[in-house]
Amino acid sequence: MQAFLTNTWLLWLLSGTAALLWWRGRSSQLFYYIFNRYLLALGTLLLVSGIVFSLMEVLPGDCAEKMIAYKNTQGEVITQAQIDAERARMGLDQPLPVRWASWVADLTLKGDLGFSCAKRQSVNMALGDRFWMSLGFCIAGLLFAYLIAVPFGILSAWSLNKPWLDRKRHHTPLRRLRNSIGLVIAKLVDLQLRLISYLGLALPNFLLALSIILLYVFAGEPTPTGLFSDEWRGQPWFAEQGFQWGKLNDFMGHIWLPILVIGWAATALQLQTVRALVVDESNKLYVEAARARGIDGFRLWSRYPVRHSISPLFNSVGFDFQRIFNDLPIVAVVIGLTDAAALLIEALAMTNDQELAAGILFLVALVVIGMNFITDVILAVLDPRVRNSVMQAGGH
Amino acid sequence: MNALIARWRGQPKARTPDESYYTAGQFALIRARFMRNTTGVIAGGILSVLLLMGLFAPFFSPNAPGIEGANPDYRRGAPQSIHFCDANGCSWRPFTYTYTREAPAFDLSALAGGDLSALDAITSGDSLNASSQNRFVEQTDQRRYLHFFVSGWEYSLLKIEWLGIDIRSDLHLFGVDQGQIHLFGTDEDGKDVFSRTLHAIWVTISIALVALAVKLFVSLLVGGVSGYCGGRVDAVLMAITEAVRVIPPIPVYLACAVALSQIDLTPVQRYFAIAVVIGALDFAALGRRLRTHILTERNQDYVMAAKLSGASSSRIIWRHLVPSFSSYIIVDTLINFPYVILAETSLSFLGLGLTEPVNSLGVLLQKAQDPDIQQNMVWQFAPVGVFVLLIMAFVFVGDALRDAADPYSERKR
Repeated sequence: MQAFLTNTWLLWLLSGTAALLWWRGRSSQLFYYIFNRYLLALGTLLLVSGIVFSLMEVLPGDCAEKMIAYKNTQGEVITQAQIDAERARMGLDQPLPVRWASWVADLTLKGDLGFSCAKRQSVNMALGDRFWMSLGFCIAGLLFAYLIAVPFGILSAWSLNKPWLDRKRHHTPLRRLRNSIGLVIAKLVDLQLRLISYLGLALPNFLLALSIILLYVFAGEPTPTGLFSDEWRGQPWFAEQGFQWGKLNDFMGHIWLPILVIGWAATALQLQTVRALVVDESNKLYVEAARARGIDGFRLWSRYPVRHSISPLFNSVGFDFQRIFNDLPIVAVVIGLTDAAALLIEALAMTNDQELAAGILFLVALVVIGMNFITDVILAVLDPRVRNSVMQAGGH
Repeated sequence: MNALIARWRGQPKARTPDESYYTAGQFALIRARFMRNTTGVIAGGILSVLLLMGLFAPFFSPNAPGIEGANPDYRRGAPQSIHFCDANGCSWRPFTYTYTREAPAFDLSALAGGDLSALDAITSGDSLNASSQNRFVEQTDQRRYLHFFVSGWEYSLLKIEWLGIDIRSDLHLFGVDQGQIHLFGTDEDGKDVFSRTLHAIWVTISIALVALAVKLFVSLLVGGVSGYCGGRVDAVLMAITEAVRVIPPIPVYLACAVALSQIDLTPVQRYFAIAVVIGALDFAALGRRLRTHILTERNQDYVMAAKLSGASSSRIIWRHLVPSFSSYIIVDTLINFPYVILAETSLSFLGLGLTEPVNSLGVLLQKAQDPDIQQNMVWQFAPVGVFVLLIMAFVFVGDALRDAADPYSERKR
């Protein structure tokens, strides 16, 4: 019984959630909507696993050949018959759909991502906490990008189509001067920030990371590559004298580099998105109507266009995550990180380790789909526009 | 340009509500709005200069970019500076100097005595490494004048193979009296970095063009079919699109590039294959937009009218629905240009895109990770500057175009 449960725990969890949502959904539109989203997310995940798994077929070589090649280096003489036998033992002689089905079955039953041939251990073991590390980097980079992009994107949208100088006749000269100075500063800040953030886009990530490392080299300082410097690498987080603050300090001194690099690159696109969203909203008629009612300046912008453009922005968090993870592998290679992104590059380009690469790609897709699901649900709860459309769609 | 000057002078723009405004087509309006955007116009100018220089790279580059144009006497040479004045007076015609290699700094005669410690001194010193062997000194008494519109190495200006047209020329914008000029220095084979950079621009742009054409085709196909057919076809296509959208693309490109590297391809085939892979996987965003657009448009009266007149579905899609979306498509394509170029660069960085003899900006940027270049040949970073300028110009033009294509941006002033 115990063994049966440990081998199928994930399936129970998934179907339990579905059953709970379905049961609540019988009486509530909102839960019915969430149930639908949940099923859709699971369906997309299944499709993603299929795409990822068949994509890995294009990588050359298979597990049996690698295993045998390893034995070959140990001095054994290997024949083709042995390779075939090994292949049959691993089930690699089965057609693709059968192998995919067994991979998916293992995954949904107990969260087992398969077996990594190059590392010769299970993918879950090989990944360990490295995936969490990548996730942490991406989220930190994303936060960095949002922190810069949201306020300055709004500023950029505000200063668009504004003149450099205030020439309104009905303003007093003093007010005109004050307004003009404000406008010039806003426009210059906008231009500067757009230049800097687009520079982050235009400088490829590897170049950015390389140049920062080079600056350290020229300055004669130790470079902040990897995650820890040598003295702290072997130390545990908790020693006898309590928590090792020195290690945390050292860690912080290293992780800013990847976060800065991927965050800076992502800022440009975020800035463009925020700017476009706010500009779109600010041209709508309800803003005009608010202006006609006499609302002006900060109150107008914060209550009307900005407030409305938050929800599409929030909705795209999942894809922003995907985009930022996209940049991480190359940065990881340059900086010498040992996270999941670096493993992915290693598995794809060097060791051709199909199941490891498929596992990492699947996990990234899982996070994206999970984020999309959560943002959809949160928006349905919080945003009255979405809530109304949900209620109406279910109410027919 | 007039708008720019008018803006600098601070004249309020004459906004005469003449007839032409109301009768102007969509593209004329977009153009007019674009011309009012200062940063957009400046970026557009820079972009067109770069594109022209890339397109007519052989004309602008004084040396052939390949190994045949390499200068064996000036390997690993620093950029040559151009002067108008020096100690011997000034001249209107710019000039550079003759560069000669420094004599080797070690003394072989010390070895004659059979003293092994002298040999040790030579090998452990840095006089034998490549960068100090290729140290050049300016001969400031030997000027080499720059000439314009000179004839140099021969290139084909226009080549259409299947028509048998091959117009060859040997005219170049500039060159020097004797020898070669290297504005950005040379690499380890003596190839001129300036010429390589110029040639690389067009290669990179053309990859992006192929990729975007493929992307456009796939998105139109998916979005058009999905939006027009609706129902079950729509559901299936959109489910696949959604699944493709959540997978990060660079690892997917990587897997495809690894697979391609197993197949024996010529550089040209490889180049097209990479462009097609980059383009074909990028259909999700545009395809979805197109689908939504068609879903809302297909119930409009003009579509019904076309249907009643007996137009076929494909005609309705291609002649009525897609053109109504053309400005969005154009703007989206332009905005995506830098991202496609960056994808090619990252593949090249990992050594899976284009590789050495080919000139592409990715290949040239990839060299930046070589420690030898970082320490001894900093001038090989020059392509980075060109690359950054190109991408920035694209992004700013894209921003300005997006603002210009928005029909509502006119109202609020």
